[in-house]
Amino acid sequence: MAKILLVDDAAFMRMRCAKLLTDNGYEVDEASNGQEGVDKYMAIKPDLVLMDITMPIMDGIQAVEEIKKRDPEAKVVMCSALGQQTMVMAAIKAGAKDFIVKPYQPEKILDTVKRFVG
Amino acid sequence: MKVEFILPFVKGAVDVLKAEANADVEKGTLAIEESSVTTHEDVTVLIGVTGQLQGVVMYSLSERTAKNLVSTMLNERIPVFNDMVESAVAEMGNVISGIASAELEAAGYVCKIAPPTLVKGRGVIISTINIKRLVIPLGTPLGELKISVALREYS
Repeated sequence: MAKILLVDDAAFMRMRCAKLLTDNGYEVDEASNGQEGVDKYMAIKPDLVLMDITMPIMDGIQAVEEIKKRDPEAKVVMCSALGQQTMVMAAIKAGAKDFIVKPYQPEKILDTVKRFVG
Repeated sequence: MKVEFILPFVKGAVDVLKAEANADVEKGTLAIEESSVTTHEDVTVLIGVTGQLQGVVMYSLSERTAKNLVSTMLNERIPVFNDMVESAVAEMGNVISGIASAELEAAGYVCKIAPPTLVKGRGVIISTINIKRLVIPLGTPLGELKISVALREYS
């Protein structure tokens, strides 16, 4: 069973994504900011991370950089409301593999997760 | 304060309400208001904007509308306005503003949006100091969402 780490400060989004993924057979863990996301990544070594951008303590771009420093093979997909070109480029430069723009689209999330972890 | 500054937020709201709650939107009359506003709705989400545009965007709605929206989004009845509804409403404001920021960037205004702040209760006075606000109510079958935009160009 593939492990997915959800990093988002919005409890509502974590709840919806966690339900979607567990209903589809994935194991899910959660973090509510970038720093917690980095710590949880190192603790559980998930197969994929879904990462928000705007978060307190440490934002998603910095969290991707920190995760990639520790594990260059890490697979991180940004899942953010910020669809600006500059933000997408910053995420890709930081090491993100893909970028999902909110609003919440279950099919898109599942397609992306399947593409990276099967 | 240009009318073109509010249009991306209206587009964002129309897209999000359709995608998340399958709600069609009827746009109300656009108005311009001065400085202080006293909240008449139960919940107001405030989102700060910095960059080439600076100011604040507000999304106001009643508790009933908030519960209707979240119930529809989750496909289950949510009878009380709890932490999860607060999180959902704040996130909705965040997503609408995110879509708007991409539209503004495409129009040449690169800006960043801050994490949402939620104000609960009617009768709260919010001042946008010396920035006038463009206000538009959006009617949906689930209730009304009012958008207020107070932005100015940074020079």
